[in-house]
Amino acid sequence: MIKSYKARRIISNTVIYILLGGLGLIWISPLVYLILHSFRGGKAELATTIIPQSWTFDNYAKIFNPPDPNVVNFPQWFMNTFIIAIFSCIISTLAVLMVSYAFSRLRFKARKPLINIGMILGMFPGFMTMIAIYYLLKVMGILSMPRVALIICYSAGAGLGYQISKGFFDTIPRALDEAATIDGATKNQIFWKIILPMSKPILVYTVLTSFIGPWTDFILAKIIVGAQGPENYTVAIGLQKLVGQEYKAQHFREFLAGSVIVAVPITALFLFMQRYYVEGVTAGGVKG
Amino acid sequence: MKKFLALLLAVMMLASVLVACGGDKKDTSASGSGSGTADDSDPFYGDDNIELLVWAADKAIDVTKELCDEFKAKYPDKKIDITVQVQGEGDAAAQVLNDKDAAADVFSFACDQLTRLLNANALTPISENRKEDVIARNSEASVNAATVDGDLFAFPETGDNGYYLVYDKSVVSDEDAKTLEGVLAACKKANRKFVIDAGNGFFSCMFPFTGGLTLEGISDDDVQLFNDYDEDKVVDTLEAFAKLFHDYSDVFLSSEATKISTGMASDPRIVAAGIDGSWNAAAVEDALGDDFGAVKLPTINVNGTDEQIVSMHGYKLIGVNSHSKHLDAAEVLADFLTSEEAQLKRAQVLSWGPSNNEAVKDPSVTDNVALSAILEQSKYSVPQVNIADTFWSPMGTLGNTLWKDADFSKDTIKKNFEKTIANIKDE
Repeated sequence: MIKSYKARRIISNTVIYILLGGLGLIWISPLVYLILHSFRGGKAELATTIIPQSWTFDNYAKIFNPPDPNVVNFPQWFMNTFIIAIFSCIISTLAVLMVSYAFSRLRFKARKPLINIGMILGMFPGFMTMIAIYYLLKVMGILSMPRVALIICYSAGAGLGYQISKGFFDTIPRALDEAATIDGATKNQIFWKIILPMSKPILVYTVLTSFIGPWTDFILAKIIVGAQGPENYTVAIGLQKLVGQEYKAQHFREFLAGSVIVAVPITALFLFMQRYYVEGVTAGGVKG
Repeated sequence: MKKFLALLLAVMMLASVLVACGGDKKDTSASGSGSGTADDSDPFYGDDNIELLVWAADKAIDVTKELCDEFKAKYPDKKIDITVQVQGEGDAAAQVLNDKDAAADVFSFACDQLTRLLNANALTPISENRKEDVIARNSEASVNAATVDGDLFAFPETGDNGYYLVYDKSVVSDEDAKTLEGVLAACKKANRKFVIDAGNGFFSCMFPFTGGLTLEGISDDDVQLFNDYDEDKVVDTLEAFAKLFHDYSDVFLSSEATKISTGMASDPRIVAAGIDGSWNAAAVEDALGDDFGAVKLPTINVNGTDEQIVSMHGYKLIGVNSHSKHLDAAEVLADFLTSEEAQLKRAQVLSWGPSNNEAVKDPSVTDNVALSAILEQSKYSVPQVNIADTFWSPMGTLGNTLWKDADFSKDTIKKNFEKTIANIKDE
């Protein structure tokens, strides 16, 4: 038994750091591989060594300026996904926050039943209804506009994800609302001018999740645009196609480059939102 | 979960449209192809204002568009509107079955999807007056691949969906490439790899096929049927393969087929030869340049006699969607898209091997090393059609046991083979 407290601490810390370092290494290695090999040059499409032997930007050039747009049309896929994600993000964020506000601040007869219905509906797995959604969209004739169809799918039921934001709004003291009401503010003004500015963290959280959802979704997107031509694909469907048996031997590095590019908007959005995240946590509150 | 509210709202909307829906199933039976006695000069049986949707592979999209324009020009007095859309052949059946009404009227698919499409009644048999001609002009094997119970269900489009031997001419001589022993010895001399995707049922079925096993379709209750094979011969052949894989264990590499083009493209080259799929031909040719060699599969020595390795061979077919609103016109178009001229055009532009008996003789095919190799191999092949879903996985496992298991005595192999057959039949 080692007596010295210091020695014991050093040993246990060493063990813990080695363990954590190892786990961290395992976790980060696929990402490192992805980025390294997206810059790999040479003739071999698949990797033959762990560290690439030659480096090039060609893969990125090829993905942004595809030689055969019938096969790889990444810019178009990227734009499609971007449009879908932006619109879904705006609509769902508004819906989620407004529903949460209503459930948190307003008192009406159907409040409890609606909260319960929302909870129960939220418990059904989403893919259960995907085929039904496909046929409903078809009957409505929206299927021929796959982008609109996807935006509808991603944002129509978004309000059901109110639980977390409602929980957050509940922690904002009602005294603020009351003070505002005395000053003559309407419920609508309270939402926009009092509650929202104080809820930046949850706003950021909602924006991020409702952007990333459509941006990375595969299954629903595949069902809805699968039968349409590649000009309607989203990045997830397009990139998945590139690792199929027919394409892998010629497009694998473009897939890697595309995967790196896909991470850019999400990262940018997060970096931009991050400052509000911190600000939101520290600012606000009632004095005294 | 968020989609559920969308669903609820949509159900309300649906209620209002439901009435209109009733008339949806009207004309599928009415316009059965070849039913009329209309005069032969009008292959559309009086149909006009024809709108057709065609699905073609992304690489073939431009060629298909050109062909469709030619088709329209052929019938100037009809109003024909053809939309050509990209849809991968590997995914076609899934998309058709997903929603037959939204799927293309005429679509290209790989022949292994035929059973699935037929089970869902997604294809119509080709009309009698056209059938004879299709059978006569295409290779027998490709027609067999599209025939079920005497009915021809699709038009053969290509005849090159299989695998063959590719090799680096600087290592493996043309003479070596004739026997599997020769190929392996040459690879060993150069200290380079020989690749077969032995764990993949599509490739590994060549081991028992070489021993005389073939497929005889599936029974009514979806069980895979085999021919009356000689088990001892199959086991002997499997043993010969296993012995070679073990003798050359430092040369033989079981890996997915893309490893071949990659290993040949790396510097220095790691792979010298392999059994590769026709879809990778461009990548391999790109990697090897002048050293590119391709030939039918080699022979293997089983108990003193050289046996030709038998492969599995697929075909691409063009089918007519049974839910098409213009069945007759769709069939005429499918017929046109698989005609000799169309196949020739695909061979010239895309290097796709034809199934047409005349197009095969064209210089664009015979001068193409990879294409001639694959078409030559198709003579020693089992068509990839009417195969139970349970076939692939046990077959892959059998292939893996041949090179992985240290014990490759006759008894073990026999036991493994019997187990494989039992698993495929799901007994």
